[in-house]
Amino acid sequence: MEKFKSIIRDYPFIAFIIAFVILAFVPSVIFTDVYQSHLATLIFVNIVVAAGLNIVKGYCGQVTVGHVGLFAVGSYTAGTLFLYLGLGFWATLPIAIIVTAFFGVAMGIPSFRLEGPYLALATLGGGEAIRLFIENGNFFRSTFGISDIPTPSLMGYNFDSPDRYYFISMTIMIIAVYFSFSILRSGVGRAFMSIREDPICAAAAGINVKKYKILAFILSAMFAGAAGAVYAHMPPGYIHPNNYTVIEMVTFLAMVVLGGLGHIWGGIIGAIVITIVYDLTRPLYKYQLLIFGLTIVLTILFMPKGLGGFIDRYFLEKRFKKKTGTEKTT
Amino acid sequence: MILKTKQLSKSFGGLKAINKVDFELPKNEIRGIIGPNGSGKSTFFNLVSGIYDSDPGSYIEFDGHDITFTPPHEIASYGLSRTFQLLRLYQDMTVIDNVMSGYHTRVPYKFFDAVIGRKKIWDQERAIKEEMMELLSFVGLADYAELNASELSGGQRRLLVLARAIAMKPKLLMLDEPAAGLSPVNVDNLMKIIMQLKEKYGLTLIIIEHILKVVMDTCNSVTVFDHGQKIAEGTPAQVKDDNAVIEAYLGKKMDDEEMRKALAV
Repeated sequence: MEKFKSIIRDYPFIAFIIAFVILAFVPSVIFTDVYQSHLATLIFVNIVVAAGLNIVKGYCGQVTVGHVGLFAVGSYTAGTLFLYLGLGFWATLPIAIIVTAFFGVAMGIPSFRLEGPYLALATLGGGEAIRLFIENGNFFRSTFGISDIPTPSLMGYNFDSPDRYYFISMTIMIIAVYFSFSILRSGVGRAFMSIREDPICAAAAGINVKKYKILAFILSAMFAGAAGAVYAHMPPGYIHPNNYTVIEMVTFLAMVVLGGLGHIWGGIIGAIVITIVYDLTRPLYKYQLLIFGLTIVLTILFMPKGLGGFIDRYFLEKRFKKKTGTEKTT
Repeated sequence: MILKTKQLSKSFGGLKAINKVDFELPKNEIRGIIGPNGSGKSTFFNLVSGIYDSDPGSYIEFDGHDITFTPPHEIASYGLSRTFQLLRLYQDMTVIDNVMSGYHTRVPYKFFDAVIGRKKIWDQERAIKEEMMELLSFVGLADYAELNASELSGGQRRLLVLARAIAMKPKLLMLDEPAAGLSPVNVDNLMKIIMQLKEKYGLTLIIIEHILKVVMDTCNSVTVFDHGQKIAEGTPAQVKDDNAVIEAYLGKKMDDEEMRKALAV
């Protein structure tokens, strides 16, 4: 067991490969109908967005409310590339990621001057501007949405149903989570955190604050772009501007806040919980926003570090007690 | 000379917070900076470390680099480290993360390697962590490494800030009131640690401090600021007897004639 632990410590991607194999067997063993695969794909898409949002909001501390705009950029890049050039998933995914990265730069530039609620307002404007631009341009087929975006196929095998597409979304999710994991565990993650805590002190400690802020925005935009492309190609392959409103943004925020801002697994835990709750409360659709708003407020009030921080705290207190023999109360 | 300023000035509107200060600091010296509140000591620190831009005509040189208009993160990469009067602790990070973030300028790997997550990175990260744990146990905070910085006591916070500033292995360390709000016993302990660290890393130190005993006992030389100007410089003994310094701290000494005039009005 010790040996296994040290291997995982040196080569963390092995843990992700194991997770991949386990998740690959989930549909055939656990799922009873296609809808559950569809739900799993939604969870995976949300995990990718939330992992990216966790980088910029949880770690770098830049309050952005325009992330859904970047998600839309990813989707619509994929959608329009298919619509006008007939490109498939394997071409649209990387292009969507790159295009969204550029939009991420634009979204991040206000963060040089603004912070806190002011930055939130600026990014909210950015996200809404993107949505309105898409909605009002005939170029984007705004009224009817873009439909029949093809599912990807690999070596003659077409991932054309939810239970097959599951594997595509799962792979992207595992890769994205692995990247976010290794970025945040390294010195880059620490630099992000010090900018969140105190930008002046971070600068005095040798951290290039502007560079790292923009880096955080680019990275999280790339995650959102990847998620957007995966979402666009998800069967039945239909996207509409109404899927990218502030309401979606609130659910993304609820994921990150509930999972734990600045917790390495925060976005992931939150995305799983919120997506499932979202699905279960569909009959109460009138009250869904109320539920998520309340979730955010109550989490911030009573569990400021989210579920992830809550679990961490439990183990930390246990360890501290073992080490020093005293109770640490705060 | 590790640090040199010529005609250093900074005004906020009409107020000349720092007015034409020439300052020279040889290597391996411990320099104390004293002066009444609002005399420009902290502004001087902020100018040197690049937090503020100095007024045109100023010149700052650090270790052979002209740093007059260099952004703070670059100045730090030349080996200048500082602490803040208000600590600026990373409250929501663990103690060990606080110290490791001070290591930033020395992190050996590139960003891309970190994204891929190669084994090399994790080995180096572990080596950094071990080194920083050593530093933490040196200042006596090793037991608290995994706690949040906000959970430390006032004295421990001062130690943590010191450790974070040392982590980058600076050539010059600027301490802004390191002992403010500490009890006499803790002050002695802190100064002992600072002296040990100076020996260990071969630091040059500038210390702003209001506790004159600390300054008089530990510093090789003292610079006195008042109203943004340097009014005296020399060994602690010289400065103690300087008339300008006494005036700045206690007020002007009057003779009988002046006293009578002042009372009559």
